[in-house]
Amino acid sequence: MVKFLSDEWIEYGKEYIRRNLDPAKDLGNLTTSLHGVIEHVPPTDSTTTFYLELENGQLSDFILRVGATIPEKTPVFVITGTYGAYRDIFEGKVGTAMAILKNRIKLKGSKVEALKIIKQLDGLIDALRKVTDEFEEGPSPS
Amino acid sequence: MTRHPLVTVKKTDFDAAVAIATKGTHCGMCRIDFLGTGLCPSGKKHGYLAYWPQGRMELIKHLTDGTIPPTEALIEIAESCSLCGLCDKQCNFATQLRPEKVAQAIKDYVATLDTKDFLKIPKDAIVTGLQKIVGEKWATNDPVIIASYIRSIIAPNVPLDFYVVMPETTEQVSQIVQFANTNNMPFLPRSGGTALSVASPTVLANATNLEHGIIIDLLRMKRLEIHPESSTAVVGAGVTSFELQKEAYKHHLRANVAEAGAHVCANIATTGIVTTWGNSYGCFADNFIDLQLVDNDGVIKTHHDLEISNPYAVDNGFANISLSPPYIITETTVKLYPVFNDEEAVMVPFDNVEDALDAVIELGRRGVGLSLAVLSYKYLAEFICPTRQIATDFEDVCKNYLKLRYVLDVVCKKEDKQIVEDLLGYTIDESMLRTLILGSPKLASLKNSEFMKILSEEKDPLRAIFAGPMKKHLEQGLEATPANIAKVYDEDLQDFFKKIYAKPEFTDVVWLHAFRILPSRLMRQRMAMGPGGAIWAGDKAHILKWIKIFSDVGDKHRLEHALGFISPLDNGKFIYIEYDYFYDHNDPEAAGRISKTLLETTEQSLVLGGIFTLINYLFKGIYRKEHVLYPLPKGLTVEEDTMFKDVLHSLLGDIE
Repeated sequence: MVKFLSDEWIEYGKEYIRRNLDPAKDLGNLTTSLHGVIEHVPPTDSTTTFYLELENGQLSDFILRVGATIPEKTPVFVITGTYGAYRDIFEGKVGTAMAILKNRIKLKGSKVEALKIIKQLDGLIDALRKVTDEFEEGPSPS
Repeated sequence: MTRHPLVTVKKTDFDAAVAIATKGTHCGMCRIDFLGTGLCPSGKKHGYLAYWPQGRMELIKHLTDGTIPPTEALIEIAESCSLCGLCDKQCNFATQLRPEKVAQAIKDYVATLDTKDFLKIPKDAIVTGLQKIVGEKWATNDPVIIASYIRSIIAPNVPLDFYVVMPETTEQVSQIVQFANTNNMPFLPRSGGTALSVASPTVLANATNLEHGIIIDLLRMKRLEIHPESSTAVVGAGVTSFELQKEAYKHHLRANVAEAGAHVCANIATTGIVTTWGNSYGCFADNFIDLQLVDNDGVIKTHHDLEISNPYAVDNGFANISLSPPYIITETTVKLYPVFNDEEAVMVPFDNVEDALDAVIELGRRGVGLSLAVLSYKYLAEFICPTRQIATDFEDVCKNYLKLRYVLDVVCKKEDKQIVEDLLGYTIDESMLRTLILGSPKLASLKNSEFMKILSEEKDPLRAIFAGPMKKHLEQGLEATPANIAKVYDEDLQDFFKKIYAKPEFTDVVWLHAFRILPSRLMRQRMAMGPGGAIWAGDKAHILKWIKIFSDVGDKHRLEHALGFISPLDNGKFIYIEYDYFYDHNDPEAAGRISKTLLETTEQSLVLGGIFTLINYLFKGIYRKEHVLYPLPKGLTVEEDTMFKDVLHSLLGDIE
């Protein structure tokens, strides 16, 4: 188990997805990409973005960068939320669809298209949840 | 051992108090002064739900089961109640409960404890930060206060990992949202809380409640200004429908408002104010001129701001589902409409829905009536009857003897009344409606009587009793007086209710439509869930097919059910339908059946198509009806239905 938003999280996540998720059965041979923009990351109140890309159900890219975007990437979806909202998702307190529909995270891109792939997205989040259980505690300094 | 020095004069049976509390459904009628008695002094002074009768009823359940410890706040909650009895009067009118016994039992409980038994709750950084924004009194992490919000924004059986904050201004709301984001805390605004309490026992609870974080209770935002010169009102987020209507009426003006206890701003956000006045007064963004909002980043926006991007832009289609308000509406400017001196309420009875539907659509298209709807006999009975048992017997009389299944219900000006009579032959006039309200106990008691048996053998019992020779006998026989209806109440409240029913407004059907104090009776000691939505008015077979879905699924899941109301919108182009299911909110098995009913009716409605279901309707109220309702989504394809099921599964998990 590794810390959420660490380099190890990316590496373990890639490994776990490739080993455990079947491109057809679990990921529906999906081709899509997303930016996950995480605001108010403690302890420095910074913003971090991860980029995740699937090609025909295969994980083709998964990277992490400090800042509100990864300029060289043009994702289909951008999902923006606070560190707390992402923590709730990765701790399983709230599902991805629920977080979108309750405005806990903001979706840029077609909501219909996002909901179409919700099963696969849930599978990915579930996989990434399995490699992380360490989160920053407490609030960011205001 | 040092007992806390609470003065108690009588001991109340704690179990009896808990039993009362368990029957409560968070209708919220104890927070509005609809009887003219004044408000609960404790709630008015201290604000938090725990200080209102409604909150005490929730609180005592958690004190009993040991899920919350007594804290220092509990002492103040107990002491602040003067046992004035106002809550008994208010609650009894709506639900026949006696919440004062709950307040007494809490006092007794506190008196049994040692002063050392009361926990002092330490402040943490979050509550300190919130108190800096709103003042020390108006933010808390005390579990006793927090527990009172269970079932009306907090799901039962979750850890009480919450804060409650009560802002007074839009600027404070903005600061709270920014503070919450910086501290990675989720937040959710709470107004009347009734919609949340309706969802709470069902599968929708996780979708509508806050999982943990900051509850922003908007009750203190009480700005209310009536501007008669422009027929508008400025309404803060803490103002209820009843409070706005009361002020508007002083100027001979009327607002289009939801149920009496609903907060105006929240109701705009939630459903755009669905009322029987919608065909005349509008729906969705028709209801307001301006909004002041706080967005999820804490930015204050107003609709009149020239720099704002199109505030009405909204996705369209079946997947456009929102489970939280897109903004916190902190203030709105709403339209007001003239009250005419010749307004009258009339009803026309029907024995079948097809004819009632034809009538309401025809009148809607003609623009007849200020308020216009078809009500089922069950809705009518629940509204006008003072107790559940009387309502049940009244329903029996309507259904089995009078053959009264639906009423066309019109509030109209004199010239419109003539059109109704010309089109439909006869009406139940105001005098008879007054008789039915005051005489409902007597009419209900005629179940199984010879009179009813004779009447039921008439070719057209409805016409015979409401427009024929038997009308006079009915009016005389019902002994419809305030004194007689007051006899159904507890002995010590009979004098009070005699005076209440002697007030003209309590039998003035126009006033009752405008102030909407009676819908709370749908939730008396049990829960009502009313899914529905909008559908084009042009295809009658399609509408009837949709109503049948609700009826069939209700039968399948063994629920008490009936059509609620049908009301036209947008000059009769659309109709809104509410279909009601009733169940015991304390029975998890019944709640499970309601959950399945909600999911099945929603899915079948979406597959049928041409329908804007309740799940789509939620939180669209700030948008234009033209954007929301045009076009209505087509029926789901097989692929879309699979996707919809995936989304439901992702949202709600496996409900089997």
